[in-house]
Amino acid sequence: MSDSTASARASEPLAEDLARARERVNGIIIDKREVIDLAFSALLAGGHLLIEDLPGVGKTTLAQALSLSIGGSWQRIQFTSDMLPADILGVSVFRRQDERFEFHPGPIFANVVLADEINRATPRTQSALLEAMAEGQVTVDGRTHRLPQPFFVIATQNPLDLTGTYPLPDSQLDRFLLRTRIGYPSQEEERRLLIEPDRRDLLADMDPVLDPERVIELIGTATALHLSEPVLDYIQALVAATRGHPAVRAGLSPRAALALTQTARAHALVMQQDFCLPDNVRTVFPALAGHRLQPVTESAQSGADIANEILEATPVP
Amino acid sequence: MKRNAPHLPTSPVAWTIAAFVLSASPHLLAMPPVLSGLVLVAAGWRLLAAQRRWRLPPGWIRILLSLSAIVLLAISYGGLWGRRAATGLLCLMLGAKMLELFRVRDLRMVASVSLFLVTTQFLFNERLLYIGYLMAGVLASVCALLAIQRFEQGNQRAPGSERRILREGAMMLLAALPVAAVLFLTFPRLAQPLWGLPDEVMDARTGLSDTMSPGSIAELYADDSPAFRAEFEGGPPPPGDRYWRGPVLWNFDGDTWERAFLPSRTPTDLVPPGSNDYIYNVQLEPHERRWLFALDYPVTLPENARISLDYQLTARKPITALTQYRMRSNPDPIDMPQLPETLRQLATRLPADRNPRTREMAESLRSRFGDDRELIAHVLDWFRQEPFYYSLETSPLGRHNADEFLFDVRTGFCEYYASAFAVIMRFADIPTRVVTGYQGGYWQSGGEYLLVRNSDAHAWVEVWLEGSGWTRVDPTAAVSPQRIQRGASSIAEGRESLFDMAWLRDLRNRYDRLQYLWNAWILGFDAERQQRMMRFLGLPDISRTGMALIMAASLGVIVLVVAWAWLRDPRGSRDPVRRAWLRLLRRVGRRGLAKRPSETPLAWARRVAPALAGGDRLVEITGLYNDIRYGDRREESLRRRFTQAAGAFRPEPLGSRRF
Repeated sequence: MSDSTASARASEPLAEDLARARERVNGIIIDKREVIDLAFSALLAGGHLLIEDLPGVGKTTLAQALSLSIGGSWQRIQFTSDMLPADILGVSVFRRQDERFEFHPGPIFANVVLADEINRATPRTQSALLEAMAEGQVTVDGRTHRLPQPFFVIATQNPLDLTGTYPLPDSQLDRFLLRTRIGYPSQEEERRLLIEPDRRDLLADMDPVLDPERVIELIGTATALHLSEPVLDYIQALVAATRGHPAVRAGLSPRAALALTQTARAHALVMQQDFCLPDNVRTVFPALAGHRLQPVTESAQSGADIANEILEATPVP
Repeated sequence: MKRNAPHLPTSPVAWTIAAFVLSASPHLLAMPPVLSGLVLVAAGWRLLAAQRRWRLPPGWIRILLSLSAIVLLAISYGGLWGRRAATGLLCLMLGAKMLELFRVRDLRMVASVSLFLVTTQFLFNERLLYIGYLMAGVLASVCALLAIQRFEQGNQRAPGSERRILREGAMMLLAALPVAAVLFLTFPRLAQPLWGLPDEVMDARTGLSDTMSPGSIAELYADDSPAFRAEFEGGPPPPGDRYWRGPVLWNFDGDTWERAFLPSRTPTDLVPPGSNDYIYNVQLEPHERRWLFALDYPVTLPENARISLDYQLTARKPITALTQYRMRSNPDPIDMPQLPETLRQLATRLPADRNPRTREMAESLRSRFGDDRELIAHVLDWFRQEPFYYSLETSPLGRHNADEFLFDVRTGFCEYYASAFAVIMRFADIPTRVVTGYQGGYWQSGGEYLLVRNSDAHAWVEVWLEGSGWTRVDPTAAVSPQRIQRGASSIAEGRESLFDMAWLRDLRNRYDRLQYLWNAWILGFDAERQQRMMRFLGLPDISRTGMALIMAASLGVIVLVVAWAWLRDPRGSRDPVRRAWLRLLRRVGRRGLAKRPSETPLAWARRVAPALAGGDRLVEITGLYNDIRYGDRREESLRRRFTQAAGAFRPEPLGSRRF
């Protein structure tokens, strides 16, 4: 496929840099290309990523590698049950010498924010984060502070240890563009992990390939990526299938459809393509729809199951 | 501005000109050579102009050329009226249009009018042969329209596309066949044609004329075209009895025999049916005159026909289209046991100042033989014994033509014998009339019908005898019995040996059998046959409105079927890329590696590639397909690369072939 798929873009340095950034992250997070591609897609589609997985599978490393590769600032917030919104957003402190309040930005003011174990915080704190994610800005004491651009949140949830947690309400889940899991590495890859030097040392040696401006540029490129009629047909067919599915309480909203389109484009860009393929739609669909589709109570299927079922039942035009 | 219009490429121009020339060809052949030459030169010039990128001529030259051509046409046809002149005018104007094919619009106009031009040929001729011409003309016109459309869409440059246009055009015509068949079968037929074909000339005025002067049938002998066909219920009459009565001639002015105006017989005045009757169907080729031909003596009358006192059958209108009628003839009755005095006078009248030698001979015979029958037998014997010859090579006769023929020339064919014999009879005061018509015919044993050609035209004599009425006497039979027994072609043999080789005659007879079926089933499919078909389908007595409803319903069914097929796979049927892709899927699918509907092309290709020899190639082809289908790349080169690669890919399971 030397000159067919993804020809023109490969010559552009921007796309090359994106590819290099992706390779860097791939070098650190072993055997998780799909997750990394999804993470980049969420970033380039201007959304946020929710990772549901056990501790120790590399969530933090992924977030860190990602932020390092794109060259922005990064913060990690470990959520706890006694955390207050101000601990995330920042506080206004009265400065006596100036006789005025000064805003001390919280950890959310970074290009990449890792919100670890988000379900441990109280709903109030959670919603402070989610609002900031949605708005791209923070309002404290009546004053609005813009968050840096690009702004990308990777939140994690531990699906097993649920005691004393406040799982994100379903209505809040769709603040995250994609939800995925990382999973265990394969035998060989895990061995590599055991033999090779500590990932933290690798991270320390990593230098950025991109910078925030170029990421914004890439986001713009993704928005304009060519998406043909048949792919639109496919997206619409998938969305329609969720709406008619008997095990789903509510199908995908038009906003979700828009998000699907945008994410498919971003994924195509990550895959170094000139245009969007149904393959991109397929790849991102479970991560995009899984947490948005709420199964009816008597259903044994999870949202992700339903998403996969719909993928298998919908013909590709 | 017009003259700066972009140059039209060769392909659509060539197709359009081909469509025009092909559609006009029979008209061009019928036109004065000067005019058809002009048209052809214009077409050829335009073709060269397209190739060499010549500029088109200025307006005044074009106008001058067109006007002078039209004047020429008007002069050669004596006006612009009539079918020939009108179609000629159409050809000329299209020829003139060749000089100003500037724009796509012009091309499209010429290609569309060519379609019409093809149909105008059927104002002149409906022969089977012209179906080939019709097909070719329509196909060329459709291809021209396709080529024009292709040019408009901007992908005309693909090499090899000409053949594709041809194939596409043929497919379109093929697809139109069901519609054509439905229209043919169900279009409400009128008992009478919608427009009468004018009485004017046909291409070749053939058939018998209503007069006879010795020598006039000679042209007919050279005409091998079918005059009519007769299909008998129970075998045909023996060759010696195959006399098909046409015009009956009473008046002789010394040069020419002419008809007499006798009253018609009423239907009640016909002969009664007998036990030896012949029952037959006649399929009469158009001959632009009103004669209908029948064996003696008709028991029934065809519709819209009348029969005169001398059993001469005429239609009310000239036969301008293939006509079929059913006849029953009783050969036994006596025609006019009593001869009215007026008819006796009519049948014995001769110009007194002609043929003195014949008169002398007739009068001496009259004094020798009291009995008419003996006199006739004597004259026939005389014909047989004296050196008379049957030949088509004759010389014109002068004022005393009977004298010259009987005593000097003694070589001629049926007309000479009939005329001279009749003159002898009349001088001998025996009532005599000359009958023209056809004699014989070729028995198509395969088709079970008698084929009578124009070359079977014949003339014989009837004399009135006491006790047996009008009695047929064929002096030609006395001279050349084989003419009567074996048909006209036995005489023509040796005259035109080139065209009478056995295999050629066989071929012609085979072709005539096809033509016969064509006539019977296609041209002869009239209102009555349509009703018969409907009755067969269990729908008796359908009104014309009912017929129209059936037609609309049948067309509706076709439209529904097409719409269903189209909706089922909206793009698949039209887009060659999509078609090639689906074919590729089917081919690989037959190896048990079918693509699941929910699978993306690339996912499928990657899944099945390891199982196939050259699987990488399949992934590559699929990449091309993705570029076109999802990348919306429209370059013809890419599309062609894909269709070729997809068409060439043969899925071989890995290991089935050694490298």
